[in-house]
Amino acid sequence: MTTTTRFQKLAGRRDKPPVRFMDRLVSLLARLIIAFLYIPIVAVIILSFNGSSVTSTWTGFSLHWFDVLLHDDDLHAALRVTLTVAVVAASASTVIGLMAASAFTRYKFKGRQLLLGSLFVPLIVPEIVLGVALLSVFSALGIPLNTLTLILGHIVITLPYSVLILVGAYAGLDPSLEEAATDLGCNQWTTFTRVTLPLMRQALVASWLLCFVLSFGDIVMSTFTNGVGSTTLPLLVFSRLKTGITPEINALGTLLILLTFVVILGVGIRQMRQVLTQNTKL
Amino acid sequence: MILLAPAVTIVALLVLAPLVLVVRNSFATADEYGAVQGGFTWANYAALNDPAYFKVLGYSLEVAALNTLICITAGYVISIYVTSRPPTRQLLVLLLLVIPFWTDFLVRTFALINVLAPGGPLNTLTNAIGITHGPTSWVPSTGATFIGLVYAFLPTAVFPIYASLRGIDPNLSEAAADLGCGWWKTHFRVLIPMARQGILASILLVFIPTLGVYVIPVLLGGGKRQIVGNVIVTLYTEFRNAPLGAAASVVLLLLMMASVLVIGLLSRRLRRSL
Repeated sequence: MTTTTRFQKLAGRRDKPPVRFMDRLVSLLARLIIAFLYIPIVAVIILSFNGSSVTSTWTGFSLHWFDVLLHDDDLHAALRVTLTVAVVAASASTVIGLMAASAFTRYKFKGRQLLLGSLFVPLIVPEIVLGVALLSVFSALGIPLNTLTLILGHIVITLPYSVLILVGAYAGLDPSLEEAATDLGCNQWTTFTRVTLPLMRQALVASWLLCFVLSFGDIVMSTFTNGVGSTTLPLLVFSRLKTGITPEINALGTLLILLTFVVILGVGIRQMRQVLTQNTKL
Repeated sequence: MILLAPAVTIVALLVLAPLVLVVRNSFATADEYGAVQGGFTWANYAALNDPAYFKVLGYSLEVAALNTLICITAGYVISIYVTSRPPTRQLLVLLLLVIPFWTDFLVRTFALINVLAPGGPLNTLTNAIGITHGPTSWVPSTGATFIGLVYAFLPTAVFPIYASLRGIDPNLSEAAADLGCGWWKTHFRVLIPMARQGILASILLVFIPTLGVYVIPVLLGGGKRQIVGNVIVTLYTEFRNAPLGAAASVVLLLLMMASVLVIGLLSRRLRRSL
């Protein structure tokens, strides 16, 4: 018997090997779950350096499949569409989100809660229904599907996230800073550019990057809003995957995992925690 | 108010109005190409009133419920683990959870194909312990679909639960233990009721989106057993029957509203009982 347990017994505490046991079990389970999350990611990275043309047999280290990626024209075309859409959608959502967030924080008006709630509707409606709905409007109005309709669809799904992040960031700002700037002779615009914007910088970067990643990886909304010539990267990869996985796709996967690291570094883990724990307040 | 105009316009024109149009289209007749023709008919809903579709609905609800249960339980276990770490370690573990969360959804799905494929890590393991002999494939299968769903939604489920557990004073669970609560009692009588907001939010974030999923059943399940999401995509892109697709979308929309309502009532009741 160890000294601690003997001490506990002497002290008359009913403390409890089961508590310790359960805590250990929780730690063990949590580690197993985290391992479960990482095994596939690690498998993609390893297999992308496999020389064999079959993913399941390892024939030695090779960069061959990255070279294949470099010369895949269909993929490049899809990547261009995806990047264009993601950059435009992320920028638009962040700017619009910032405008909305500043209005919601600064002014108290009737129906404010209702209006704010309505901006979060796309978060709870299944994305597939949002896609179907947009498609119905485009076909009813005879609007041809192209990159523009794709961008509109992506703004719909990214805007709520941007509003969520920026409303949260605005709420954390000290209003007396803006008041001080006004007192010191700044007009509304200079207060915004010289005081508010620099203070919001981190949140704006987070919003932009998260919208970018959401748009970049989106497949459901894109299924309904893409047209001829505006196939996105995920759509192309999805159609290729239907005939089976190739080492080339694994190589692409490795690059996309690398992109995730860049995004997380860009946002920062503390800011990320703040962002990801925000939607509980809804 | 000019600041609000773009956001409100987008939601009104690209979300709310289109949803109304979907409801309208679900009562419309289709022309011979399957496009919306207008008119008013219950025929689309009558067509959905078919054992084949009921099977899909039942299977979807089953899958979504089971996926939610697993994700919430695993999410709770991870959150308890994270919050019990010292602050600097907490950030490290969180980083480990954030990476899969932001890894491209499609990458995570095909990553699983690698793991479950013949000759892959799982196959090597089962060969080693003698469950299987030689190359065996677990993909496509219903089980693979399931693993894929858990893999896709688990990172989403963790954060709301973590957020609500993080706000709880650790002294409370110590107090509960001192007052004679065992591990289970401390969790079920103290921590889980206090973290209910986050848990309910996680349930919403997993249950509803699972019903609308369509990529995972196609890639990991071979498209054999469909979820509501698959049916909607098939109706629109393969059958090209827009009114019938709209009716199926309305069904999904109703399921979503019902779930939100149930969660809302549950949340209110829990708040009162505490």
